[in-house]
Amino acid sequence: MTPKNNIIIGIIVALLVIASYNVDANPIDFVEGLPNLVIILEEIVAVEPKYIPTALWAMFETIQMAFIGTVVGIAIALPLSMLAARNLNSKFVYAPIRALLAAIRTFPSILWALLFVIMVGTGTFAGVLAIIMYTIGFITKLQYEAIETIDSDPMDAVGSIGVSKIQLISYVVIPESASHLLSQMLYMFDYNIRQTSILGLVGAGGIGFYIINYIKFFEYGKAAIFMLVVLITVLIIDWVSVKIRDKYIIKSQHGMDVPTK
Amino acid sequence: MKQIQMTTNPSFSLISTKKVIQMSDVWSSYDSKNFALEGINLSIDRGTIYSIVGQSGSGKSTLLKLMNGMMVPGKGIIKIDYVTPDMNNKKFKTMMHTIGYIPQSLGLIKNITVLDNILIGALPRLNKIQSLLKKFPENEVKEAKRILQLVGLTGKENRKVYMISGGEKRRVAIARALMQKPTILLADEIVSELDHVTAHEIMDLIIDVQKRTNLTAIMVHHDMQLALEYANRVAVIKDGKKILEIGVEGDNIVDFQTGDMTTEEIMEMYSDDPKK
Ligand SMILES: Nc1ncnc2c1ncn2[C@@H]1O[C@H](COP(=O)(O)OP(=O)(O)OP(=O)(O)O)[C@@H](O)[C@H]1O
Ligand SMILES: [Mg+2]
Repeated sequence: MTPKNNIIIGIIVALLVIASYNVDANPIDFVEGLPNLVIILEEIVAVEPKYIPTALWAMFETIQMAFIGTVVGIAIALPLSMLAARNLNSKFVYAPIRALLAAIRTFPSILWALLFVIMVGTGTFAGVLAIIMYTIGFITKLQYEAIETIDSDPMDAVGSIGVSKIQLISYVVIPESASHLLSQMLYMFDYNIRQTSILGLVGAGGIGFYIINYIKFFEYGKAAIFMLVVLITVLIIDWVSVKIRDKYIIKSQHGMDVPTK
Repeated sequence: MKQIQMTTNPSFSLISTKKVIQMSDVWSSYDSKNFALEGINLSIDRGTIYSIVGQSGSGKSTLLKLMNGMMVPGKGIIKIDYVTPDMNNKKFKTMMHTIGYIPQSLGLIKNITVLDNILIGALPRLNKIQSLLKKFPENEVKEAKRILQLVGLTGKENRKVYMISGGEKRRVAIARALMQKPTILLADEIVSELDHVTAHEIMDLIIDVQKRTNLTAIMVHHDMQLALEYANRVAVIKDGKKILEIGVEGDNIVDFQTGDMTTEEIMEMYSDDPKK
């Protein structure tokens, strides 16, 4: 370890302490709070089993919201990403679309949810709209970047046949970037389930709505049960999407690495 | 192999009246400083084979890209069937449907099958609905399978392109170009890097199609001997300039344009076996 590195580490540690003091992050509070977990555990055990179906139903509703939001969001994002890709369009097309997308991305999903709660009232619809907006902003960027990295040789070769732009997209661009696009879609769905779980905090439906209400009324046991359901669901979905990715996507991506010559 | 004999008397009687490709004082560059091509003049007759030979970086690929409208020259005039090649020109874009271009990198789509790659050549013939549904009509699929057999890829039609060999990839690219029912074929070093036997097999195949369909083929080669063996004309490019054009008439070589060097000197420079 060089003295220079020591100084850098020293500075980082100092910043950490100062920042913690400023935001009132006290490790002692954390340790003192640990016994509270035991109380919650006791409360969980005390919760009547009849709440479990409700929790599962709320989770199912959350998954449905995430699913609709992801599918509709991607359906809008895909054509947008084609328009935003620099290798497919002139500056006059991609520049304004990119600016619009950057603006959409500045909002986290919870802020979109707030906005839509104000617009269409509380409930799942506001949540779905929020997920759609977030998905558009986020996945379009991932997808146009994937499209821009595809090999220009097949594009030039097929372009030299004089095919239309739509044909170029559907016969070259999509097959060449399909594995990336697919794995991004899976990731997005996965991520949206987590996001949707908290949108209820601002009244935009889903399981988070139950959690925040139980917490408000100090029913920590019930809140914890619902949170456990989220945890387990997310773990399962994570595991399933890893399996799907391994089976269908990694294999075809491997093929893409084989050079032509 | 063909015995090369030189005749000094240039015979322009070879020139037919029908010109397919004409270039007049064409200059082209990728950046503002260096010219990849400098003052190229050439004219190519319909139904002939025109070979372009030259060292690496001399501008051969650039010349082909100008012929199919992927690039436009900085200066000079190019006419393909009396139309200026330019992707953004509607009339030329229609002509591109029947200009088969095989780039040096082949430009295959790697994670679709061999057959699907070949069918790409038929894309301009699809109507909007067929194109949208990715449904090629029965006769096109049949034609693709016929060409697949012609280029010697029988049994490989359902392989993904990343699962076939380099020589097989070249055959796929040739098949895709043939699928266009081309009137002009632009082939960039499609047999370089292949063994002698395979190179001749592929060249024979192209010549066969060329004869039957009265195709005009412009082929870039690395090897002068191979170029002479198969071409009606051979142009030699050096540093972006055409330094020699020779016609091949039976066993005779006719010199059409000589620059600073004698034809023999140039031939020696670009032949694989200089003692020949
Ligand atoms: N995309 C490009 N951008 C900038 N310069 C380029 C580009 N492609 C080619 N060049 C330059 O233009 C000149 C001619 O290149 P070209 O590809 O036509 O040569 P070539 O004769 O086909 O060579 P090779 O036998 O190696 O394929 C070279 O100096 C090369 O560096
Ligand atoms: Mg080249």
